[in-house]
Amino acid sequence: MNLKFTFLLAWYYGLRTVGRGPSYIIASLSSPLTLLFIVFIISRGTLVKYAIVGGFIGLVASVALSSAGDAAFMRLQLRMQDLYVASRVNPSDYMLGLTLSYLMFSLPGIVLYSILGYFENVFTLPDVLALAGILALLVVSTSSISFIVSSSIKHVRNVWGIAGIMSVVMTVLPPTFYPYTFIPKIAIYALSVSPVTPAAVLTQGAFGLSPLMTMEIPVILVETVVYFSLARYLTRWREK
Amino acid sequence: MIETEKLTKRYSDGNYALRELDISASEKVTAIIGRNGAGKTTLIRILSTQLLPTSGTARVNGMDVVTEAGSIRKSIVSIPQEAAPIGILTAFEQVKLYLVGRGMSFKDSAQSASMALDELDLREAKHYPTDTLSGGMKRKMFVAMALAANAEVVFLDEPTTGLDPISRLEVWSAIRRIHSTVILTTHYMEEAEQLSNEVILVDHGRSLEQGTAADLLSRFRGKIRVEINGQCQDCIHIGSLSIKYVDREMADRYIDMGFAIRPITLEDIFISRGVTIES
Repeated sequence: MNLKFTFLLAWYYGLRTVGRGPSYIIASLSSPLTLLFIVFIISRGTLVKYAIVGGFIGLVASVALSSAGDAAFMRLQLRMQDLYVASRVNPSDYMLGLTLSYLMFSLPGIVLYSILGYFENVFTLPDVLALAGILALLVVSTSSISFIVSSSIKHVRNVWGIAGIMSVVMTVLPPTFYPYTFIPKIAIYALSVSPVTPAAVLTQGAFGLSPLMTMEIPVILVETVVYFSLARYLTRWREK
Repeated sequence: MIETEKLTKRYSDGNYALRELDISASEKVTAIIGRNGAGKTTLIRILSTQLLPTSGTARVNGMDVVTEAGSIRKSIVSIPQEAAPIGILTAFEQVKLYLVGRGMSFKDSAQSASMALDELDLREAKHYPTDTLSGGMKRKMFVAMALAANAEVVFLDEPTTGLDPISRLEVWSAIRRIHSTVILTTHYMEEAEQLSNEVILVDHGRSLEQGTAADLLSRFRGKIRVEINGQCQDCIHIGSLSIKYVDREMADRYIDMGFAIRPITLEDIFISRGVTIES
């Protein structure tokens, strides 16, 4: 592992990019904030805590999933991957560096949602720790899905479309912004293909908004390991 | 030292990019020239361990590209064709990141990146986001990576494609400052003549000829190229243009007839073999 490279990539491609391109912050916030607004209006404020808690999940997941477009663009258009394949960087260093970068993209949103959560009295310290753990697993699992998808994209013209579809389907359909109890259990199981579902269900349980569904703990752990392993083996590093 | 033996690459669509290619390059700068689709990029990508061959062998400094890729990667730099910088990052940041990726410390990489960029006249521009730089400056940033890395072998895949003439001269100047063994591909004959000690001509995935530019041009000694718009006997036809090689003493006669006369370049090796190439 070349952790120096990983952290420098995250520092440059994550933090510096956010600092130099404020539109990234607005773009990453636009979808969860819009959904928060809609949930607030439709539920007349009763489900706003769900939307705030879901906002963390939705924000991290949508940034990580839409990064599939970014990773494919860097491979196909900028040829960055080729540059690093022919060096001492290994695929794990590169993937982890980009994953951390996407986490950086989410930071301004996480700060904003933290402020909203504070004013809505959503948090206690154990809740925050649980949320941090869930978000860490979520960013690894969703970024892994991104890499698997991005490496199968062969043309730049498909890059942003596929990433956009994936981001919406995998973050908005699961019970991210509404109580998971609103949908039948069978639907929860089906939607659990997306790691966003167990993350949202567990967060709602941890924050006391809905009953804690403990069986989702192994689901998210196993999904994180499986998706990361698949990304490690399916992501094309050296081409055949 | 680069060697290939019966190197073949067949893509999944059935097309061959390389067909039993045999080459050997040991000069300071070797240019691999050929038209678009000749197999140059595929060859560079296999030698740079970015792409696996279908069959045959390829060695870089004696190491096999398939079984010893990890060792090769420690000793090479490969700048891909049409590589583009991440526009929001500065040239300094991108060169430093690349050097850290090669295992340098933060301090050494910062120092080396800065020195290389200064040496390539990017002192002023190195702290601006690269999307504000000219095409030539962006290419020089990649050459700075090669210069700063101080690798044993540097692969440059069409380093000046798409650049204006002045930017091209600037990149040539930057390439001349690389101390390593350089393997570059180009379809510009002039570039190969200007930069390389040795030239390898490839077409349809096969090596046509190899030698110094002077060696390859020796069979044209005393000749000039006559270009005729229209058909003529014993000429090579390229589109509506006909080309003929004649003794230099006969130049005046063809000028009087209104034909264009050109000096012999590496391009003529391709033309005389019936292979056309951009100039």
